[in-house]
Amino acid sequence: MKLGLVVDLDTCVGCHACATACKQWNTSGTIGPLSDERPHGKDPSGSWLNRIHSYEVGDSPHSKTVNIPMSCMHCETADCVTVCPTGASYKREEDGIVLIDQDKCMGCNLCSWACPYGARELDADSGTMKKCTLCVDRIYDEQLPEAERQPACVLTCPTSSRVFGDFDDPDSQVSKLTRERAGQQLMPELGYNPVNTYLPPRNPKQQDKIEISPMQGVRQLVNRIINR
Amino acid sequence: MHPAFSVLIFTVTSGAGYGLLAWLGAGQMLGFTQTYTIGLQLTLGVMAMVLITIGLFSSTMHLANPKNAWRSFSRFRTSWLSREAVFAVLLYPIASVYAAAILWQWPMINLWAGLSMAFALIILFTTSMIYASLKTIRQWNTPMVPALFMAYALMSGGLLFVAVSGFFGVLNPQLLIVVMALVVITLALKMVYFFWQGKPTGATIQTATGFSQASVRLLDAGHSAPTFLNREFGYQVAADFLLRLRIVMTFTVFMLPLVLLYWVFNSPEIVEVLVGAWVIMMAGLLLERWLFFAEARHVVRLYQGDQRT
Amino acid sequence: MTKSQDLPQFEDHSKQEHRYTTCYMCACRCGIKVTIEDEKIRFVQGNPDHPVNKGVLCAKGNSAIMKQLSPAKLTQPLLRKPGTERGAGEFVPISWDAALEMLTARLANIRATDPKKLAYFTGRDQMQALTGLWASQFGTINWAAHGGFCSVNMAAAGLYTMGHSFWEFGDPDWENTKYFMMWGVAEDHASNPIKLGLKRIKERGAKFVAVNPVRTGYQAIADEWVAITPGTDGMFALSMMQVLLREGLIDDEFLIRYTNGPQLVINNPGKQGDGLLLRDAQGNPQIWDQHTNSVQSALSAEVAPALIGEYEAPCGTPVRTAFSILMEKYMAPEYAPEAAAKICGIDADSIERIALEMAHVAFKETITIDTQWTDWAGRTQTQFIGRPVSMHAMRGISAHSNGFQTCRAIHLLQVVLGTIDCPGGHLAKPPFPKHIVPPIKPAKGNAPNTPLESAPLGFPTQPEDLVIDENGNPRRIDKAYSWDAPIANHGLMHMVISNAVAGDPYRIDTLMLFMANMAWNSSMNTAQTMEMLRSKDDDGEYKIPFIVTCDAFHSETVNFSDLVLPDTTFLERYDTISMLDRPISEVDAACDSIRQPILAIDRDVRSWQEVMVDLAGRLKFPAFTNDEGLPKYNGYEDFIVNFERAPGIGFLAGWRGKDGEKSLRGEPNPNQWKAYIDNQCFFKFELKPNQRYMRHANRDYLELAKEASWVGSTDQIVIEIYSETLQKFRLAGQGLYDGPQPTEEHHKERLKTYFDPLPFYYAPLEQARTDAKEYPFFAVNQRPMFMYHSWDSQNSWLRQIMSQNYLYMHRSKGEALGIKDFGWAWVESHNGRIRVQVKLMEGVNPETVWTWNAIAKQQGTWGLSDDANESQKGFLMNHLINELLPGEAEAGGHRMTNSDPVTGQAAWYDLRVKITPVGKDEIPLEEQNLAWPRFDKAKGLPNFTPASKMSSYSSHPNINISRGWRDIFSKGAK
Ligand SMILES: Nc1nc2c(c(=O)[nH]1)N[C@H]1C(S)=C(S)[C@@H](COP(=O)(O)OP(=O)(O)OC[C@H]3O[C@@H](n4cnc5c(=O)[nH]c(N)nc54)[C@H](O)[C@@H]3O)O[C@H]1N2
Ligand SMILES: Nc1nc2c(c(=O)[nH]1)N[C@H]1C(S)=C(S)[C@@H](COP(=O)(O)OP(=O)(O)OC[C@H]3O[C@@H](n4cnc5c(=O)[nH]c(N)nc54)[C@H](O)[C@@H]3O)O[C@H]1N2
Ligand code: SF4
Ligand code: SF4
Ligand code: SF4
Ligand code: SF4
Ligand code: SF4
Ligand SMILES: [Mo]
Repeated sequence: MKLGLVVDLDTCVGCHACATACKQWNTSGTIGPLSDERPHGKDPSGSWLNRIHSYEVGDSPHSKTVNIPMSCMHCETADCVTVCPTGASYKREEDGIVLIDQDKCMGCNLCSWACPYGARELDADSGTMKKCTLCVDRIYDEQLPEAERQPACVLTCPTSSRVFGDFDDPDSQVSKLTRERAGQQLMPELGYNPVNTYLPPRNPKQQDKIEISPMQGVRQLVNRIINR
Repeated sequence: MHPAFSVLIFTVTSGAGYGLLAWLGAGQMLGFTQTYTIGLQLTLGVMAMVLITIGLFSSTMHLANPKNAWRSFSRFRTSWLSREAVFAVLLYPIASVYAAAILWQWPMINLWAGLSMAFALIILFTTSMIYASLKTIRQWNTPMVPALFMAYALMSGGLLFVAVSGFFGVLNPQLLIVVMALVVITLALKMVYFFWQGKPTGATIQTATGFSQASVRLLDAGHSAPTFLNREFGYQVAADFLLRLRIVMTFTVFMLPLVLLYWVFNSPEIVEVLVGAWVIMMAGLLLERWLFFAEARHVVRLYQGDQRT
Repeated sequence: MTKSQDLPQFEDHSKQEHRYTTCYMCACRCGIKVTIEDEKIRFVQGNPDHPVNKGVLCAKGNSAIMKQLSPAKLTQPLLRKPGTERGAGEFVPISWDAALEMLTARLANIRATDPKKLAYFTGRDQMQALTGLWASQFGTINWAAHGGFCSVNMAAAGLYTMGHSFWEFGDPDWENTKYFMMWGVAEDHASNPIKLGLKRIKERGAKFVAVNPVRTGYQAIADEWVAITPGTDGMFALSMMQVLLREGLIDDEFLIRYTNGPQLVINNPGKQGDGLLLRDAQGNPQIWDQHTNSVQSALSAEVAPALIGEYEAPCGTPVRTAFSILMEKYMAPEYAPEAAAKICGIDADSIERIALEMAHVAFKETITIDTQWTDWAGRTQTQFIGRPVSMHAMRGISAHSNGFQTCRAIHLLQVVLGTIDCPGGHLAKPPFPKHIVPPIKPAKGNAPNTPLESAPLGFPTQPEDLVIDENGNPRRIDKAYSWDAPIANHGLMHMVISNAVAGDPYRIDTLMLFMANMAWNSSMNTAQTMEMLRSKDDDGEYKIPFIVTCDAFHSETVNFSDLVLPDTTFLERYDTISMLDRPISEVDAACDSIRQPILAIDRDVRSWQEVMVDLAGRLKFPAFTNDEGLPKYNGYEDFIVNFERAPGIGFLAGWRGKDGEKSLRGEPNPNQWKAYIDNQCFFKFELKPNQRYMRHANRDYLELAKEASWVGSTDQIVIEIYSETLQKFRLAGQGLYDGPQPTEEHHKERLKTYFDPLPFYYAPLEQARTDAKEYPFFAVNQRPMFMYHSWDSQNSWLRQIMSQNYLYMHRSKGEALGIKDFGWAWVESHNGRIRVQVKLMEGVNPETVWTWNAIAKQQGTWGLSDDANESQKGFLMNHLINELLPGEAEAGGHRMTNSDPVTGQAAWYDLRVKITPVGKDEIPLEEQNLAWPRFDKAKGLPNFTPASKMSSYSSHPNINISRGWRDIFSKGAK
């Protein structure tokens, strides 16, 4: 299995719901808690596993705003794992999820240096590295209703811009979407081979105009016999 | 990259330590320390180990969860940091035997000297590979980095070696020449590195976002106060300030020590000056290491608004 | 996924419990399922079965844990410390008993003497049915909720045109629409439903056009972004109208059958009665019947009305159809696309093209749903015809002083395309549509110890309905329903403090505020409002003698209160989202919902609902006391179950009848709360397929609506493209009205100009009075999707997303002014100036600057530390906005409210500003990275515990996944 997410840049409105859902679930999740420094003070800062960036593509007046949520891509060539000296970071063979064993991490930051996507954040309280677990503690929890065995961010996204599934299965929704909508990896040139893909914005819909005949000039509106 | 002081201290001091140890080992094997007293050899060896140890201790300061530091030996198979840790620890018994061999003049001394030197060089290499292996930082992801790390270590260790030797009255002018040559070579390497670093290549905000056809600008990072990522990678220094620091660095690491070396070469009676030269060089190296970090631009910054790395 | 062998059991589900309730982190009111573990919140998720959010949640909802843990929560009732000044924020704790006794004594005295001396205003609450009832029982006309400063323009324009509206009254038909146009919306009340809907239409390949000066959020994913100049949407809409008329692209059948377009209007310029509808003796409007070529009743089913034409009434009066007037008006050159382009910043070709695209969808991509239904006249129809063009509009339209007419213009576009309540069009949500307009008139006066004769707020249809005294002066403290703002259906909350302090029209005794942050982000001119709250008479008495605030958190307004009554949080109380209010209905179902306490109260706080019922008993309101004069209800829950507004009609529509077997109408059910709780806290009554569309003329629906008391009769709701109500007011302004008329010149002028029975474009009032050369930029706000007004800076997760706002402006303009990204600038309006940090961007109309709303906070409030970014670098646009219009006072020293002249809607977005970079040496060094103005630090409340430097919340210790040694040692690079 190759589990991961598809993120649809055509519909993401940048609402941050997935980011806070993630924070909420995971602060009591397997890698929790996710601490917050100066929660009510100057420059509040905490560990998050998913963040939303907004960009403007193109120059005014033809610019387009694009919101790009970023969490761990569960890369196939995950240098964050190779660099980890303690073995705390690893990629699961069975499903490709990249995890951090919280009991083994020594907080050296090296894995975060190796990650191109900013997916790893050091937790200032625990001193250990935190990252997206692909909600491993939801997707395999058989005591959750089947429909809820999904990552928290996926469940909550109001525009369903996040889809979870197995990229190894050609019939999965993630594989289909990636195929049909030309899903792409971010920064492929670095060679990490991220599993998560991003669906580019669709081309704007071209709508037909009603035809008007220029010969006719102003059309005269006339009364028709229409019963009330 | 944010220059963590503990890491600067670590790489610079332990670098000099490994360099010094390498020189000592080389001296034993090539024979140029044969005239040294046991006391001087031991002094040099202990100095090397003290520098190394200070560095290593300093490096653990930068761990956020040091109670797990011992686990860093476990991923020897893939992690350069783990390899560094393993070799660094293995060096202690080896260096101890080498010390014993010096003290009691054991016959296999050359073996232990050679091993110590090899380990020192290997450790320098592993340390440098921690940085050089990161594809995320263009400025580091080059064979020049290991070359430079080794050169710095051998240069600063060498200078310390001749300074201490000289202090104890066994200054060898040929070694002075070698050290001067090392300084010049390292300088040249560094200049090549600077030149290469200045070339605009690497990932851009376009490849980072997947929009290759148009300009891309960050509108909102998604958080209004800095995060771990900003603090770790977002280190930003004004370009003109960096340039000034480069000049200061070049003078303190290379030019001044070179002048002083040359001066001592010509007037060996003021050999104590070399100690000063070393101190200046070490200060310069701290600055060099600071620049090494400050000028390194992690690709993650593309997501925070940088246009290119 | 099936279980992976090596994983531990992460959650001890046996220790967890799921409780359902309704979110109130904003007015969207999503259903939530809360997992509780050891009385701590494990997880808040969307309820997948809930009609509103269908399982999804927004960023706020997902941060409910941190709201519940906020250090800013009030913990006990507080009294301003005797001897300290109001606004100093020094309080002493007081017991609930003492507080309520004190308040009862004061209120009883007001009620027994002059009830209008209590002004009771509520902000972001959703329980106006209860607060309104309370106010009527008290007997004060001075009650209103936030609608007046929010979006009454939308409500009024819709209700006076088609009986429902945008806002919370209707939705686009997300399932069927093929062309969706969104006007001036950043987030809105239907926060999650809009997002769910946008996803649906993008999936289906419908076109999404966003009309907005800024391209963020929803506009980011639009197929086409129309970067309109603020305040000019009316011109854009009516110019598209001209294109449609010019090309004959109208749904004449719809207009004839469902609107007053064919009704005959008296054409007697300058004479009494001009512009009114021709009516027969019974008062019925008339049409020109093409079968008989005669004037006939418009209500008859057997006629074929002429849509266009000038005729002569039997009495000889010249008449023409309303639609003819419309055509004449909008075919005028001023509405030609070329002319509009100059005003709206949209090129003429685009105006033309968008109109023709809509026409294509409406007329060439028509859809039909084959369902039999009965129309108003009892005729069986075999299908619903859908013209799948839909629209949604909100504060980008309403927050301008031309918003009422602009919103009407947008509705008119929808109407001529025939897209009202049809498949793919704009659909009403029960209890809407209502008849035009609901037959409730605003209460006109009050008497001691007597409930009001009618509700404080209602729907005027003629000058006689105004709430003015015999001299034509306002009776209400906010001057709603006066000549200043005749159709102020929601009151003018933004004028209360200013009017009460000025004693204009009179002084009050007590101002009671619930869930409104009037000392900060919901008043215009914030700094001066704070001064007003502090201001005293010569005798040392405060100009507003007593201020009572019910809030759950330490807001800025709390500091200015004399008595603070601490509320519960939404997770700690019972609450109803009632059909008598604005319920959570969907387009195809009538729905309401409740809240239940899912966490125990751990402080000395009470829910305001509970307190109001308590006070009502203490004050002996007739509806709340029995024959012995004792309280009739044993608390809020009891009240909700047993109160009936009309026989069988109560706050909750579900599980009525003794055994809970009846829906919508039925006797009280003692187990109603439990029935709701068992059904995840909501009630959903699905409309049958034949009741889902054309409800203004659908008897199958109207019969149900009458039974449910949503409407008073099953008569057709005739859509009013031509508003006779407005014409009556205009006639009053022209001196041609047979009834009350204004005496002051400026009132006459306003009525003549703005009460046009057909929508028109005019420059917003403040814009028109501001020198465009001096103040070249338009300044507007947007709601951030992850913050609700002032509520969420206390939320440690949400404030990590944004603890500081910036002023955004077009890159080219910033560069021309020499302002860099993150540079500081002065922003100056006619009312004052502020210092802000600037960000430059591409996707904004170049003449427009904007910021996120309500991020800034006063130092010391909301549980934040003194150096919090919100109070140091955040800024409010409110300082630049005055509640009064700039320029000369009107004759008689009268300064007019900065509001829509029809509805009194606060005109937040009419602002014009100039922008200058902050000079290097202009301000002292220590000030250079700070916003300005900043205010005196608010004192900490008694027993306030400041937040810790670090927090790590979790409901249980984490179950780590341990990586085995063998794996660690054996794995290679992969
Ligand atoms: N997350 C969140 N949700 C909320 C709220 C909140 O505070 N936070 N508040 C709730 C409340 S009380 C309300 S009233 C609603 C309001 O919800 P919205 O209607 O979304 O209100 P605003 O955020 O004011 O958005 C106004 C939009 O109109 C644009 N605009 C400004 N002037 C014009 C104009 O002249 N023409 C056009 N076409 N556009 C213009 C602005 O750029 C902005 O995008 O949201 C409700 N929902
Ligand atoms: N510049 C500018 N100003 C604006 C707007 C704008 O777009 N631009 N928008 C305007 C609009 S549309 C609106 S609706 C207003 C909104 O303005 P307000 O109605 O004042 O809304 P809030 O800021 O949400 O604050 C309401 C108060 O409710 C309190 N509260 C929260 N939860 C509870 C609770 O459970 N119980 C009680 N008792 N209190 C609670 C909060 O602590 C807060 O003090 O702002 C208006 N002001
Ligand atoms: S929840 Fe969905 S729409 Fe919102 S930011 Fe995340 S991905 Fe985008
Ligand atoms: S995104 Fe970063 S943390 Fe995640 S697998 Fe790839 S490199 Fe590792
Ligand atoms: S921070 Fe932790 S997980 Fe990351 S490399 Fe260091 S030990 Fe491994
Ligand atoms: S999959 Fe889970 S951990 Fe990963 S971003 Fe989504 S919610 Fe967060
Ligand atoms: S939109 Fe968000 S805050 Fe509002 S009710 Fe729904 S979940 Fe709660
Ligand atoms: Mo509002």
